[in-house]
Amino acid sequence: MAHHRRKKRRKLVYRDIELNIMPFVDVFSMLNTFLLFSAVFISIGMIEVQIPFLSNAPPPKKVEKTRDLDIKVNIAADKVEILTSWTAAPVDEKRENFPLTEAGMADMHNKLIALRRQYEDTDKVTVFSDDDVIYEKLALVLDTVKLRKDNEPQFSEKDIITGEKRPGIFLYPKVVIGSVLL
Amino acid sequence: MSGVGGDSNEGISLNLNPMLDVFSILITFLLMSFSTDPVNHDINKDVTLPESKTFVALDEVPTITVSKTEIYINERKVANIVQGDAEEKDRSQGAIFPVFQELTKLADASKKSMTASGGPKKKNPPITMEMDKDHRFKLMKRIMLSAQQAEFVSFKLMVSKEM
Repeated sequence: MAHHRRKKRRKLVYRDIELNIMPFVDVFSMLNTFLLFSAVFISIGMIEVQIPFLSNAPPPKKVEKTRDLDIKVNIAADKVEILTSWTAAPVDEKRENFPLTEAGMADMHNKLIALRRQYEDTDKVTVFSDDDVIYEKLALVLDTVKLRKDNEPQFSEKDIITGEKRPGIFLYPKVVIGSVLL
Repeated sequence: MSGVGGDSNEGISLNLNPMLDVFSILITFLLMSFSTDPVNHDINKDVTLPESKTFVALDEVPTITVSKTEIYINERKVANIVQGDAEEKDRSQGAIFPVFQELTKLADASKKSMTASGGPKKKNPPITMEMDKDHRFKLMKRIMLSAQQAEFVSFKLMVSKEM
């Protein structure tokens, strides 16, 4: 006689499955520590400028006189002056003053864009500053002269090596600090 | 028999969900701002850079650092600054003599390496300058004049870039 063993029905026991998040927390905290130490909260940029170059070489004998536009920016403690003149007659000197404030610099920037539009070949500005102008204000003026925003017209500039013209990223790429003279 | 202090077998569990929320948001932010740019420079603690809208990133470690009280060239102190200007003993013909001396050494070293490598003679590379924003142009002019005499004519002025 076969004994039928009564099959025991296993009761289904529902248990809570707990996810062990401790390794997850370990990884997160290590990653956070590393990233916080290496985080850069201040981004550093550069403004490129030049100063007049002194040379012992004698000047060239034959100098062809060309009539080019000369743009000078004179910085005082509370105002900035744009002085435009031509290198040959008629000199036609013009001056325009702007207050050394954010609004004044915005107006000056628009003036410089108009100048560049009119005389695209002139890509150099000479900056003169009073001795008591603080560096922060000088940086503001250099930004105004040099930088071009994305929505502003783009002007071509010459490649130093090949001499070819290419779209430029600056309003006036060449900025010379003219006050530095022996 | 009841245990001392109330109900027994009740553990205190720490709710980690808020901490994980904070961690994940912090990591997302930090990962997005993490930069693999090889040029990494710690600004001198005595220097506050002026702000600028420039889009040109730093590509060289500073050569000249002008803090509130000292002038360094390649992390080597060369002169002191007193009341916003170089000391009288260091001033010479409008320039700062120790700065001129140190830059001349850099220029000579650069020329020697160019000669040794047999390459074409190039002009001196640009000088990167890290200067406190509250200094007057007078001091900057003295430093630039010193550099001009040492035949350095290009400068890269470090500024704090708007992010």
